[in-house]
This record gives sequence, structure tokens and C-alpha cells, in this order.
Amino acid sequence: MTDAPASILPSAVSGATASHWLRNHKAGIALALPAALVLIVLFIVPLAQLLSQSFKSDAGFSLHAYDRLLGDAYGRSLVWNSLRLGLVTTGITLAIGYPAAFGLALSKGALRSVFLASLFLPLAASVIAKAFAWTILLRSHGVINDVLIGLHLTDRPVRMIFTQTALIIGAANVFLPFMILPIYAVVAQIDARLTEAAATLGAPPVVAFLRVIVPLSLPGVIAGVALVFSLSVSAYVVPNLLMGENYPTLASTIAKAFLLARDPALGAAAGAVLMAIGLVVVVASSALARQSGSRRA
Amino acid sequence: MKISPFRLFAQIAMIGAALFLLAPLAVIAAASFSPTPVFDLPIGGASLRWYGAVGSLDGFWPALTLSLEIAALSTALSLILGTLAGIAIARGALPGAQTLSAALVSPLMMPGLVLGIALLQFFRSLGLTQAWPSLLLAHIVVTLPYVARTMIAALSRFDFAMLEAARTLGCNFFSAILRVMAPALAPAYFTAGLFAFLASMDNYPVSIFLTDAWTKTLPIKMLQYIDESPDPTIAALSTLLLVATVILLLIADRAVGLHRLAGMAE
Amino acid sequence: MSLNGATPPHVALADVSKRYGASTILERINLRVDPGALVTLLGPSGCGKTTLLRLIAGLAIPDEGRVSIAGRDVTRTPPHRRNVGVVFQNYALFPHLSVRGNVGFGLSVRRLPRETIASKVARALDLVQLGHLIDRPVAALSGGQQQRVALARALAVEPDVLLFDEALSALDRNMRESMQVELRRLLKDIGTTAVFVTHDQDEALTMSDKIAVMSGGRIEQYADPISIYARPETLFTMRFVGLSTELRGAVTGRSDGQVRVETPVGALTAQGAQSLGSSVVVATRPEHIRIAAPDAAPGDAGLNCVEGRIRQISFHGSRTRVAVEVASCADFAVEIGGVGDLPAVGAAVRLEWPPEQSFAYRDGSPGP
Repeated sequence: MTDAPASILPSAVSGATASHWLRNHKAGIALALPAALVLIVLFIVPLAQLLSQSFKSDAGFSLHAYDRLLGDAYGRSLVWNSLRLGLVTTGITLAIGYPAAFGLALSKGALRSVFLASLFLPLAASVIAKAFAWTILLRSHGVINDVLIGLHLTDRPVRMIFTQTALIIGAANVFLPFMILPIYAVVAQIDARLTEAAATLGAPPVVAFLRVIVPLSLPGVIAGVALVFSLSVSAYVVPNLLMGENYPTLASTIAKAFLLARDPALGAAAGAVLMAIGLVVVVASSALARQSGSRRA
Repeated sequence: MKISPFRLFAQIAMIGAALFLLAPLAVIAAASFSPTPVFDLPIGGASLRWYGAVGSLDGFWPALTLSLEIAALSTALSLILGTLAGIAIARGALPGAQTLSAALVSPLMMPGLVLGIALLQFFRSLGLTQAWPSLLLAHIVVTLPYVARTMIAALSRFDFAMLEAARTLGCNFFSAILRVMAPALAPAYFTAGLFAFLASMDNYPVSIFLTDAWTKTLPIKMLQYIDESPDPTIAALSTLLLVATVILLLIADRAVGLHRLAGMAE
Repeated sequence: MSLNGATPPHVALADVSKRYGASTILERINLRVDPGALVTLLGPSGCGKTTLLRLIAGLAIPDEGRVSIAGRDVTRTPPHRRNVGVVFQNYALFPHLSVRGNVGFGLSVRRLPRETIASKVARALDLVQLGHLIDRPVAALSGGQQQRVALARALAVEPDVLLFDEALSALDRNMRESMQVELRRLLKDIGTTAVFVTHDQDEALTMSDKIAVMSGGRIEQYADPISIYARPETLFTMRFVGLSTELRGAVTGRSDGQVRVETPVGALTAQGAQSLGSSVVVATRPEHIRIAAPDAAPGDAGLNCVEGRIRQISFHGSRTRVAVEVASCADFAVEIGGVGDLPAVGAAVRLEWPPEQSFAYRDGSPGP
């Protein structure tokens, strides 16, 4: 039988029940305390401080920063740009990554190692270098255009650089491994006998896939979607390098507010919005993961 | 055995994904051999001079050293913190173990940019203005979720009865941990350490706010190079980093097996 | 009560071969299973029994030969169109579905109306006495309960044949033995044809109408359990099912379906028809050998008779096994019911048994 489905949050299934070693709370708290302290002091407190800063103004508590941020169409377009980037990137990486994860899980030996290397290597290449590489590829006289013209798919070079197409391609490229790896981790653990059982029970391969494999792959999908969405919603380097000022997002607003305009309240407000989105993603994904892990008739 | 169409489709998708992912890397590597001082694909000859130029990039060695130091230290500290907490969580020896487990991983979901800013303000409010300690503390937060995720999962699968068996066979407590637990957890340490190290080396959004004019990590430096004078030296530098990673991955495959790395990566 | 309604069909394999790379897993297998029969494929690991079962299920395709179920040639039919039911060794229950969902899976795939599914699921669960667990998640069940759910799931679709792939091996011994009895009773009640795969000879003897003893990709003998045990046709069958004492020798005389064999412990008479001078192995089951005192009155003149010394006595509850060393070169396995009135270890004894209970087999294999 397979283990409980994995999620982005590691399940704390207690190990061998035969062992009684370290079950008491005092020792447990002592062990977990350093990490918990780091979390509180270096993560929760600063974020809380940032949040409170977004409400600060010369007159004390105020929602002015939020008003400035979200009050006009431009501000709302910032939020929408960020969300759109997140949604589209997630959609594309899911569309490519879901079958690819299966392709990975079904491959063996050297081929599998090559595939895995293709997933890990990009993680080690700087986002900056990769984004730059895409500008080279997507230029009017770049490789992609040469190929398109050569295949007679278009007469003149397609303008891709500094367009949203380039942004999407770049973002999908950077975040694709974060979609494939969690799905692969779950799919690789699915018992192969289950498809055989479904077949002997009368399910043709497509039905078996849809009714057995897909439901069991969902925890991985949830994890991948949550990760890619939160990463792409808050992406800074990729939009900055591929579209410059033409695609303002919450992330670029934060950077500008703190590094250039010295407008901490605005930046904090934008940060708070991103934090809220992040929180929603965490809560939603863990709730979904728990639900898909529970048995349905 | 007939090849099912599904398997074919899935593997084609993976091949496509692999090519898509490797394309920019290939471009970077190719650009590093460019004969001209333009960050572009090499046409008409190749040159190795940009590799030689890497060493003389302004501020390169200090940036590299800094990044390596910060990455190594923060990874090491996170491994310790993460293992201790992981033991407590895996044994359920904690009220709210599940919550803590989720909380330890949650920084991954937070935009790095936001964290960077928050830490900048926080450190300033405490009077901490030096870059090095700020970076180290920030990178602990960056690396800890990777470590926590891997170690908690690995410790949940670890059979603690082995420790008791070791003790009945004559080991004292620490000896049991060393001789039984450490080898069993070695793959997890390797995975956690690798991911944490890479995450720290690559980190941009958190670091940018905590560096100052004299103390820059390598990614920050790279962006500076690209802004100021984008020439193939950057490509050469990136390619060198890629080669180093390939070597790391080969070691990882030998030691642990790349597929297990991926399985623990979730 | 018959779940099928009509006369249950049967299974036939004709000249079926299966190769994997350079090795031959199954070689020209011919097997016929009568309607309603419970047949066991018995053999050591690697003998091909699981492959054979998978060929019947459609989970593998033979390289040569034909498979037919219920009179239809299904050799190239994929498993989802064969209407077989398979109970897997580790149950292969769907973790994301409850008991109800698992048992009803095959029915819902066939797009039966909901009420029909519900009633068939209920009936299947009643057969295995798990109706009260219908909405449980399968992960919450014990091993024995999971096994019954797996069985109910296979039964619910009313298959032409039920296939069990070492289905009981994951259970502990008591549960396994009670399941064997219960399963046989249930299957006989329903009247479904069933094929079991097992390496456990006791399970095969308990549950089957016929046993196919397999070795190295071939069927050594296909007969009812009693014939398999009491009249094994090959040395492999004799060895694999039950214990026996073996002695090598050469044939010195023949008459009337028996041979006289010169063995290291003396001349023995056994069932067989080998030619004079051929090397044979004489095998005898332990329960037919009688222990007597060396000076007791000799039994019938036709009995095989040797003298030896008791080497070891081991108590097995309802039986006692005695190892007797004969002529310093052979170890005889003898079995008596209960505790008996045995001499002590080391005592000299005489062993007697009728020649009808010894079997001579051609000796082609490397020695034991």
C-alpha cells in the first residue's frame, strides 16, 4: 500500500510505534525550540513589523498607503499584473509539467538521470543569466526567429523581446522545475499494480488513468501549483529583465519603493498584499491537500 | 511489450521540457565563447578569453568568497536546527508538531523580496547595520525551509527502534546516533544540504536589500555586471558555475542517486 | 446461490509459450480448467506460475499459443475486456476510494445504473462479511479485511474466472488457514471458476479441486490433490509436495508394474516401469513406514524392510517425526500419528513398508 500522499507540508507521520524513545514533551520542545525561535525572530516578527509599517503614516494608524497603492486603476493593474503572471505561468508549467512528470516517472536508467539533470541544472544557473539568454534567443535576429523563418511559419521576424510573450516564456522556463519535481515525487510512488487492478476490473487505459492515477497525483499537483504560483506572483528579476518598466507588478513596486523612491509605507503595503496572497496559497493548498488525501467514495 | 501511446506522449513531453529547460543554458555556454565583446552567440570563431577575464572581474573574488561562506554557514546551521526540530516533530513529541512543520516550510511560499525588505527594516530597527551578519541571518531563513522539508520527511521514515537496538547492543546514546542514525540519514543530509546550498548561492531577492557597497554576494554582483557592462564574461562565469553544479550532481548521483534526490525534493 | 446465473465457463490454454529475452518462462503449456473448478498452480518461485496467471488475466501476452475463457479466444484481448477478476498479493486497493468505491469500481466503469451498483456492492460485501465497513477508508482496515475487500471487488463484477495471485501470503498463519477454508466454501457456493497461484503446498492441498504442479516453465502433473500427494508422477512433484525419503539405485528386476531396485540399503521393490539397469530414485512417503523392534515377528513377505537406528525424534502436535539412520548411509524420514510408543533415540529398529507406497523415478537430475 502506498504511503499517505505527500504534500508541500511534510507529513509528520510518527515512525515505528514500537520505539518509545523521545516521546515526552519537554525534550521535544527543547529540540524544536532553536528552529522555532529562528522562525519567530527572523521571519514572523520582521513580517509583522512590515505589515504594521504599511499602516503607518505621520498621523499614526492609517490605510493611506493601501489607498495609494490600490486606490486607482494603475494600482489595481499592479495587482492584476502580478496575479496574471502567476496564473498564466502556473497554467503553462502545469500543462507542460504534468505529462512531463509522468514521462520522468516512466523512464529508467540513463535517460532518467539525464531528465533529472535537466531539472536540477537550471536551478543552479542564475536567473539573471537565464533571462539574458532568453533575450538572445528571442531577438529579432535571434535563434527562434531564424527557425520560424526557416520553417516558413512567418515572413518577417516576430517581435518577441519585451513583449508579454517573452515574459511568459521566461517565467515558465525559470519555474518549470518547481512544477515537475513535486508532481514527480508523488507520481513515482504510485503502486504500479493499481493500473493492473483497474484494467482487470474492466477499465480501459484512459479510464484507469483518469479514475485512479489522476486522483492519486493530485497532492503533487497541489504542491507544484502552490509553489509555482507563489514564486511567479512575486517574481522580480524575470519581468524586470525581460520587460523592463513595461510590466509593473507588486514586486517591482516594492523594489522601487524601497530602493529608489524611499517610500517605505507604499512598499510595505505592496509587500503586505503579496504576503496575503502567499498566505492564501499556503492555507488553500494545505486544505486541498488534506481533502484530496482523505478517502472519497 | 507494446509501447503505450500514453507513455510515448509523456516522454515526449519530458523531452520537450528538458530541451526547453536546457536551451538557455546552452545559449549561455555558447555565448561564453564569443569572439566579440558582446554577450551573444558566437559567430565566426570562438574564444576562451572571457574565461580568463572572470578572475579579474571587479570585485569577483570577494563576492564569490562571500557567497560561499554565507551559503556554507547558513546551510550548516540550518541542518542542525532542522534536524533537531525534525526529530521532535517526527516523534510527535511536541504539541502542535504539524503546525510547526508547516510553519518551518512556509518561508518558501513567501516572496523573497518581501522577506528581504522586512529583514532590512527589522535589522535596522535593532541597530544591526553590518552586511555580513545580516546576510547570514537572512540566509538561515532562506535555507531552513529546504532543510526542514527534507529532514522532517526523512525522519518520519526513520525507524527509531534501530536506536534502541543499537543501545541494547552496547552503544551509548550518542554512539547510537552516530553509528545508526547518521548513516541512515546521510542521503537526506546530502539532499537537504545541496538544495539549501544552491538556494543560498542563487538567492537574489533577499540578499539585494542586505548588501552594501562593499559587501555583495555573487548574484548581486552579476546583476551589477549585466547592468554596467554586459559582456561574455558573465556568460563564462555562469558556465563555470554550471560546470561546478554538474560535478556536484554527478557526486550526488553517485552518493545518493539523482532520482532519490528528486523524490525527497517534493 | 449463483452470482452468475448461467453455467460458469471454463479456461483453456493451448500450447502457450512465453519468453523474456533469452529465457523461456513458459514452455508449451496446455491446461484446461472445468467450469466451477478451483485449480491451483503450485510451484517454487521462478517456475512460471505467476506468468501463467497473468496470461489468463491479460496482463501479459503469450508468444505462442492460445488462451480462451468461456469458449472465447482471448489471446489478444486486453484485460479490461476479458471479464476476469484478479485478487493481487498486496491487494492493490485504490487508496483514494473507500471500501464502497473500491468494490463498486468495476461496476461503475461498466456504467451500470447507480441502484444496480449499490445492490451488487452490498451483495459482494455480504459474501465476505464486511457489509458494516462499507464507508471506511481502506487504509483504516486490517490486512485480513483489506484482503476481503479485494475479493469483494473482484467478485462484484461477476467475472468468468477469478484469479488469485498468492493472495493469502500476506496474512498470518491462522488467518490464512481460516481464509482457505472459507474461500473454498464461498467459491463453491457461487460456482465461479477460480485459479490460484501459490508456493504453499498445504494451501494447494486444502483448497483445490485440481493442482497443476509446475517447475521450470512446465506442468509436471495436473491432477486432484490426493493423486498429487499419493501418486506423484514425477520426482519433482514427489519432492515439492510433502516429505519423502529418497534412495538411488539401479533396476535389477521388473514385474507387473513394479521394479526391483538395488540401493545402498539393500534391495527394494517400488512402483515403476523403468528398464533393467536404468538408474532410478526410489521415494517413499514417511507416513507409510512402520517402525518395529528388530526382533519382532517379520511382517508380510512382500514388504520392503531395512534396519537402522533412531537418530532424532521431533514432536509436531498431531504427528511425530522420526529420523532413522539406516546402514550408516541413508536417513529415513518416518512419521507416526500422535505420540506413539517409540523406543528412545539411539535404539535399533526395523522399518517396514509396502512396495505400493514406494515410487521409482528415472534418475536424471543431479543428486540430492
